[in-house]
Amino acid sequence: MNEEPRIGVYICHCGVNIAGSVNIKEVVEYAKNLPNVIEARDYIFMCSAPGQEIIKEGIKKCNLNRVVVAACSPTMHEHTFRNVLAEAGINPYLLEMVNIREQCSWVHSDNKEAATTKAKLLIRMAVAKASLLEPLKEITFKVNKNVLVIGGGVAGLSAARDLAAKGFKVYLIERKPVIGGNTARLGRLAHAEIKGIDLVGELSRQVLSSPNIHIYVDTELANVDGSVGDFKIKLVKNPRYVNEKCNLCGECVKVCPVDVPNEYEFGVSSRKAIYLPFREAYPPIYVVDSENCTRCFECVKVCPMNAINLAEKTEEIELTVGAIIIAAGHEPYEPPIGEFGYGVSSRVITLFQLERMLDEAGPTKGELKLDGREPKNIVFITCVGSLNTTPNAYPYCSRMCCSSTIKNALMIREKYPEANIYILHRDIRTYSRGDEQLYLKAGESLIRFARYREAPNVIVNPDGSINVRFFEETIQEEVFLPADLVVLSVGMKPPKDIDKVRTIVKVGCGPEGFLREAHLKLRPVEAATDGVYLAGTVTGPKNVIESIESGSAAASKASTLLTKEEVRVEPLIAVVDEERCSGCSICIGVCPYGAIRLKTQEKARVAEVDPALCKGCGACAASCPTGAMQQFGFKDAQLKSQVLAALTK
Amino acid sequence: MDKPKIAFYWCASCGGCEEATVDLAEKILDVVNLVDIVFWPVAMDYKVEDVEKLPDGSITASFINGGVRLSEHEEMVKLLRRKSKLVIAYGACSSWGGIPGLANLYSREEILRYVYHEAPTVENPQKIQPQLRIKAEEGITLELPEFLPRLLPLDLVVDVDYYVPGCPPTPEVTWKAIETLLSGNLPAKGSVLGALDKSLCYDCPLNETKPEKVLIKEIKRPHEVIADPTKCLLIQGLVCLGPVTRGGCGALCIKAAMPCTGCFGPLDEVIDYGGKAISYFASIVDYSDEQEIEKTLGKILDPMGIFYRYSLPASRLRGKITIAER
Repeated sequence: MNEEPRIGVYICHCGVNIAGSVNIKEVVEYAKNLPNVIEARDYIFMCSAPGQEIIKEGIKKCNLNRVVVAACSPTMHEHTFRNVLAEAGINPYLLEMVNIREQCSWVHSDNKEAATTKAKLLIRMAVAKASLLEPLKEITFKVNKNVLVIGGGVAGLSAARDLAAKGFKVYLIERKPVIGGNTARLGRLAHAEIKGIDLVGELSRQVLSSPNIHIYVDTELANVDGSVGDFKIKLVKNPRYVNEKCNLCGECVKVCPVDVPNEYEFGVSSRKAIYLPFREAYPPIYVVDSENCTRCFECVKVCPMNAINLAEKTEEIELTVGAIIIAAGHEPYEPPIGEFGYGVSSRVITLFQLERMLDEAGPTKGELKLDGREPKNIVFITCVGSLNTTPNAYPYCSRMCCSSTIKNALMIREKYPEANIYILHRDIRTYSRGDEQLYLKAGESLIRFARYREAPNVIVNPDGSINVRFFEETIQEEVFLPADLVVLSVGMKPPKDIDKVRTIVKVGCGPEGFLREAHLKLRPVEAATDGVYLAGTVTGPKNVIESIESGSAAASKASTLLTKEEVRVEPLIAVVDEERCSGCSICIGVCPYGAIRLKTQEKARVAEVDPALCKGCGACAASCPTGAMQQFGFKDAQLKSQVLAALTK
Repeated sequence: MDKPKIAFYWCASCGGCEEATVDLAEKILDVVNLVDIVFWPVAMDYKVEDVEKLPDGSITASFINGGVRLSEHEEMVKLLRRKSKLVIAYGACSSWGGIPGLANLYSREEILRYVYHEAPTVENPQKIQPQLRIKAEEGITLELPEFLPRLLPLDLVVDVDYYVPGCPPTPEVTWKAIETLLSGNLPAKGSVLGALDKSLCYDCPLNETKPEKVLIKEIKRPHEVIADPTKCLLIQGLVCLGPVTRGGCGALCIKAAMPCTGCFGPLDEVIDYGGKAISYFASIVDYSDEQEIEKTLGKILDPMGIFYRYSLPASRLRGKITIAER
C-alpha cells in the first residue's frame, strides 16, 4: 500500500474513566499535530453507536485510510472498532488501538499531568505505527464434521453423547481397557440414589445406542497434524489380547497364576493378570495386563471360545476430525508412604478405598471390618493432597472431597450407629447443591467436626494401635484421639501422561499441570488452540455433576464450530519473506504450535508457515536470525517506528 | 578515456584486509589493468600530499579498512571522502568496528594504563606514556596522532557508499565487489557488495544435516570437543553464528569444522547484530527451567566477545559509556 497515510485519531472519554484523569482537550490538540493525522476527535463513549458513527463519518469525509482509537484495552473493543472500519469500507486491520484507560487514567489517577503526558506519548507511538499498517485478509478453512473425544469418563461420555445426538460422527478414545473413568469406581453418589457404576452404565448405554459413536478402548493419541476444522489424527491401539469372542465365562481367571492389586478396587482386593475391570464393564471382554502376565498360556489353553491371542500387536488408526475434545480426567492423589501413616498401617486408608469397602457389590460386600473387627473410632482427615496441607500436597481445593467425606461418614453412621466418627478438616466446602444439608445432617448425626491448621499427626504405635494428635483451632487445644481406622480424603491431581497429550494437541497447562482454558470465565471449555475443547477434571478438580455439565458444554461449543461450513482465522500470523529466508530452521524449533516447516524451493530450503496452525505468538519472528520471519500487525518496521516515536522528542 | 582511479587505505586494522587484497593473486593484475591505483600506503609509495593534490571527487572509489581510532585516521578518511566519488568500508572493522572495536568496553584511560603500565609483560619503571606533543632536545616539537576516546566504524565518521564484509573479505568477495563497482550498474547506496542476501546457513554444506527442530541442551566450547565435520556444528553444541550472519564466505570456517564467528555481519533487516544473535541463540536453548537455562547459558563466558565480536561499536550498546560522557 503505497498511498500517503491519512490518519484519524479518535479519543474516548469512557465517561469519566479516562476523562477523569486525562486532559482530553489537550490530547486532541496534540494528536491533530502529529504526522499524517488528518482529523482528531473525542467523544464520551467511542464504542457507542454515535461514537462509531463519528469514526465512520471521519473515514468518509476526510478520506482516511488509517484509524487510531485511544480508548480502553484492545481485548475489550478492538473487534468493535475493526467492524467500524469494515463498515466504513476500509480494511479492518488498518486500525491501531491505544489503551489510555488501563495504561493511563486508571494507573495514574493521582497524577493527571503524568496521565495526560503518557496518553500523548502512547498516541504518538500508535500514529507512527499506523502509518506503516498494511491491509490484511482473513484466512478461511473448510470444516470436517467429525470429532475426536479423548477420554471415556463421565465428561467424555456426555460430550460424545451430545455431539452424536446432533448428528456428528464421534470417535471416543480411552487409554484404559474400559470406559467409565474414575466415576465407575465410586460407590453410592451423594443425593442421587445411584452408584457411580450405574451412572456410568446409563451414560454408556446412551452412548452405545448411537450409531454415530465409535469407541476405541486401549487406545492412545499418537499424533495430531492439521488445524481447526481439519485435524489429522493418529491413534495407537494397544493389544488387549482377548477378542470379541469372549463370552465372560471366567475360566481364564481360574487358571491365571498371577495376583496383583486390583486398581479398579483401589487395591482393596486383588485381581489376576487376565481380568474384567468390573461388572458391566464396556466392552464386556476380558483383558490381559501385559505388564504382569507371565506368558504361561494357561488361559489360552482353557478358553472355550479361543478368544485369547497373546501375540496380538499394536495397531495404528488414522482419522480426520474437525474438532477435538480433551476429557482426559484426573488421578486421585496417592499419599507417599508415611504421610499420615499411609502405607505404614493397614488401618490408614484413602477415601476411595473406603468407598469400595462400603459398596455392597464391592470386595468386602459393604462390610467395614479391619482384622475381623468393626472399627469403633473412625477418623477422617480431609485436604490430603490439597490446600498445601503437607509438603507433597497441591495448593488447590479438590472440590469433591468434603461432600464425599461427609456422605461416607453418614453411610458409616447408618451401618454402625455406635461408631465414633470424627472429621478433621482444614475447612469444610460443601458448596454443591444439597451438600450443605448433608453437612448439617452430619452434625445432627453426631459426627464430630474438628478443625486443624497444622496437619494432624497420625501415630502408628508398635502394637498396631493408632493415635491422631492435632491442635484444634476452635477450642484452641491439643486433641488426642485413639483411632481404629483413619480415612484420608485425598484430592485430585492431573492424570499421568497428560503432558504427552497436551504436547501432541498443543494445549497449555497451569502450574499444577491441569490443562488451561483459553479464558477461565469467558471461554471455560475451550483451549487456546482453535478447535480444541476441554471437558471434565482435565482442567482442574470437579465433582461428577460439574464434569457432566462441562462435557455437555464442551460438546455444545464444539458444535458451534462443527455446524459451520468454514472457519475464519484472524490473519495476525507470522509470514516468511522467502527472499530473505536462509532455511536455517531456527524458527521450527521455537514454534510451540508446530506451524512451521521447511520446503525446498529452487533447490534451497525455505521456511513456510501454516496459516491454519499459526497462533501469532511471535516466537519465530523474535528468534529469526535474519529478519525473514515477520508477524503481520507487528512487523519489525512497525515496532521500530513505535520505539523511535517513543524515544524521539 | 582515463582508467578509474582507486585508493586503498587502512585505519585501525590488523593488516589482514591488505593481505586479502594481495590474495587476489594474479587477479590483482586484472585490477591493475582496469584501474589506476592512486594511493595504497601498504604497497606503494605515495604521500598524503599526493592525495591532497588530486581534485575533489577524482578518485572513483576508496577502499578503507579498519575502524577509526586515531585522529590521523579521522583526517585521512575525511580527506579520502572529499577526493572520492565512492567510499567503501572494506572488511568487518571498517564496517562495524571489528575486533579492535571490543576495546570500546574500556575507556581510553583504562587502555593506556593497562598497555603501558599494568600488563604483565610490561616493564616501564619510568612510567613513560605516549604524549600528543613533546619538545625534543633540538628544540623540535614532535607530534603523535591522538588516541580517540573510542573506536568508530567508518560510517560514523564519513558518509559510506558501500560495504564489503569479512574478516577479512575473501578474494572472491573482493573480486565480486570490484566487478560490481566497475560494471557501472551500481546497487542502492548502503548495499553490501560481493556477498549474499541470505545467511550462511543457506550456503552451508551442513545445513541439510540439521534435524527438523534445532534445539540444544548443552553448549560446548570449541576446545572441548572434536567436532564432527559432517554434522551441523550448532546441533553439536557449538555456538555457530551462521544463522545470523550474512553468507558469501563459502563457509570456510565450517569446512574446517570451526563454528561461524560472524565476520560477515548482519543481514539488511537486522538492526543490531549482537542483539539478534543473542535472541536467536537463546531461543534454541531447550530448557524451560530457569536454573537449567542459567547453567547452560553460563557456559558462554564472554558474551560480548562471542556475539558482538565484530560489531560492538556499530551496535546499540556501542561500548562502555562513562557517566561523564552521558
